[in-house]
Amino acid sequence: MKKIFIFTILLTTPFIARAASAVTELEGDFQTGPAIILITILVLFVLVGIFFRAKNTNDFYAAGRGISRVGSGMAIASNWMSAASFLGMAALMYGSGYHGLAYVVGWTGGYVLLLILMAGQIRKYGKYTAADFIGDRYYSQSLRAVGAIIAILISIAYCVGQFGGIGLMFKWILGIQYAWAVIIGGAVVLAYTLISGMLGVTKNMQIQYVIIIVSFLIPLFILNFKFDYFWLLPQIGYGSVVSDVVDGIPLNEAEQLFNSLGHEFAVVASPEYAMPWDAATGKTFFQWIAIAFSLMIGTAGLPHVIQRFYVVPKARDARWSVVWGLFFICILYWSAPAYAAFGKILSANPEVGKLAKDAIVVYTAQLGSVHPLIVGFLAAGGVSAAFSTVSGLLVAGSSAFAHDLYVKVINPDAKPKNQLLAARLGTILMAIIVTAIALAKLALIGQLVAVAFSLAGCTIFPLFLLGIWWSGSNRQGAIAGLIAGGLVSVIALTYFVAGKMGATLPAHEFVSYWLGAWYFAIFGAPLAIIVNIIVSKLTKETPIEIRKFLVENVHT
Amino acid sequence: MNNPENGYHISFFKPTTEQARFNRNLVIWLASIWFVAIFGFQIALRVLEEPTPEPSYLAFQNAWQDVKAGTADAQDLEDFGTAALSVLGKVAIEENERTLLSTSMSWAFFQLLTPDQQIPMKEKVAELEQIESGISDIRDMGYLQAKGNLVEVTAAVFNLDRNDPRTMILPIELSTQYPAELSEEAVEELPGIMEKYLVHNQSFLTDARFLGFPFHYFYTAVFLLILFVGLCWLYCVRADRRNLILGIED
Repeated sequence: MKKIFIFTILLTTPFIARAASAVTELEGDFQTGPAIILITILVLFVLVGIFFRAKNTNDFYAAGRGISRVGSGMAIASNWMSAASFLGMAALMYGSGYHGLAYVVGWTGGYVLLLILMAGQIRKYGKYTAADFIGDRYYSQSLRAVGAIIAILISIAYCVGQFGGIGLMFKWILGIQYAWAVIIGGAVVLAYTLISGMLGVTKNMQIQYVIIIVSFLIPLFILNFKFDYFWLLPQIGYGSVVSDVVDGIPLNEAEQLFNSLGHEFAVVASPEYAMPWDAATGKTFFQWIAIAFSLMIGTAGLPHVIQRFYVVPKARDARWSVVWGLFFICILYWSAPAYAAFGKILSANPEVGKLAKDAIVVYTAQLGSVHPLIVGFLAAGGVSAAFSTVSGLLVAGSSAFAHDLYVKVINPDAKPKNQLLAARLGTILMAIIVTAIALAKLALIGQLVAVAFSLAGCTIFPLFLLGIWWSGSNRQGAIAGLIAGGLVSVIALTYFVAGKMGATLPAHEFVSYWLGAWYFAIFGAPLAIIVNIIVSKLTKETPIEIRKFLVENVHT
Repeated sequence: MNNPENGYHISFFKPTTEQARFNRNLVIWLASIWFVAIFGFQIALRVLEEPTPEPSYLAFQNAWQDVKAGTADAQDLEDFGTAALSVLGKVAIEENERTLLSTSMSWAFFQLLTPDQQIPMKEKVAELEQIESGISDIRDMGYLQAKGNLVEVTAAVFNLDRNDPRTMILPIELSTQYPAELSEEAVEELPGIMEKYLVHNQSFLTDARFLGFPFHYFYTAVFLLILFVGLCWLYCVRADRRNLILGIED
């Protein structure tokens, strides 16, 4: 029955899309066609959420542990492919060329670490949330509470970028102000997360994955075909586009090829687009390495990613779901640079003006004269990408609030009904906070999301890594490591926020460069690990029950 | 590892059972490949790179001393102007740098004209500027016509080939508000701006082409991702096989 329901919905969506029609402008008023597509997709999400809604706390937190490997892989991919992947990555490459690839590598390479170091063991540990693991492994209620608070902070930081993406796309589609777009989009994603919980979210994520990837790929096939590149495999075909940007395209090679504003498909040689750490981008070799490193270890420390491994039946499924998840993710990551490359040529004429980088995916499709409805579908895909991630984040954050703070610390005798209520109140609170921060528009989507990765890399990653692989890591070591990692995070973020507010702190330039907000984990994570090891060595050994559990349940 | 006599200790680097040793070795192998493939290649790029100027930068360098000293001949002005135009054609340049380049390029452009030629050319450029300030859509027919009229005549001043994409940019970037002489700010800033945009870190890894890509770009944007999926797949296969051999159910 459920399969028929999903099949019917997926089948009817394109017809509804085809029925809508509107003219797309780069910036404009309310766009009927894209709006209909967006509303259809949102209604679809809510319906799926209702159909597969959570019936109890086990469903809400971990989807009843009944999701298949491929299904879980799709959910991982959908959960992962946020506005930062869908919109932000192309924006980073469009703006800073090869430097943007550090994000591509960082956001995919981390899955190798996650798999070989953690996925199976996390599932074997058998907890619901990251804070659960921290509290149990380090036998400390205080650490559980701190872990929960960190998980909430990470979720908030991650959500801010997503809400920014939702705002941009709602603004583009509905023709309303950014602030209203963020508020309306936030309200919709909140409503559907509250209705569905994680079971609905997991099922939704599988559908969202299909919508995200199809909406992202269709314009690429069209662009490659239209501008005479190898279109059968756009992920390879765009290589010649990159080379053309580097070498330049003379006018006689651009005959009969124009962007939607009538400019020739020609460009002045721009090697800075593809050459590593080019001075023109203002980025350095150190920053490339630091970003890739921070994003990779951050990946292995993100609560909402780790939490995905609790929803598969077995550790083996957890491992294979990573392989599937990464493959599904890579389909999008192989494709995103193509938008940046096409965007570079299509917006090469100075008359196009300065475009909002975070919307370059949509602008590229528009400038490439892709059919307005397909552009609308693309924008709706961007919203879908943000929605799928936000819902997962809100569940992770509210789980941390209700399960780890409320039940485990504040009210251990809470009834399941009260737990669910606390989870839902936590979700609402988080959404309000995120909306308020997103309205400030602090940075590009991808950069805002990278903050969450560095935070996770400095705090949760060391606790999981040592907690799983070294029984010698004890409570005192964990607390000391957490303080060290937390301190680096606080310093980096203080300098970032001060800079945004126009204030100058001591050694501002030096600290902002070496502890940049997007990559402070390059120093914070190793420091936290070293401090954890040293303090653990100097203090009382981990209790025998914990070590026994590690040996018998996690590593056997 | 699960020997009760050792007090239930887990240490990645000191495995006590065959399974743990196998796991450690597998993780170390895969993590080493992963690390070298990502960071080793970027370090290789860094080590091998040479600052490589675009032809426009070399032309600029040849002309700059004379332009700065006010002794530039027509060829110097042409090289200087077209080099500035090369930067103006790039998408991502700072707004203040664009203004400086645009006015300096315009100065060089009008220096190449005789006083008799300057007046009608200024009138045409001013006409385009006026139309542009009054339109909301760059597809306006009047604007397109005025711009089209300028393309060929302006390209001829800089001796630009008709297929050179800079010919399309020149009329848009020309300004009638140029200084009589290069400003002090321009003299100070232009060499840095030109170097910033026209010199790149290149090596045989960036110059070689593979499947249409610059090789290093293919390696980072495509190959590394394939490698990551491959490493994950390999780990799962090996872990499954090991568990089967050891009779472990998880």
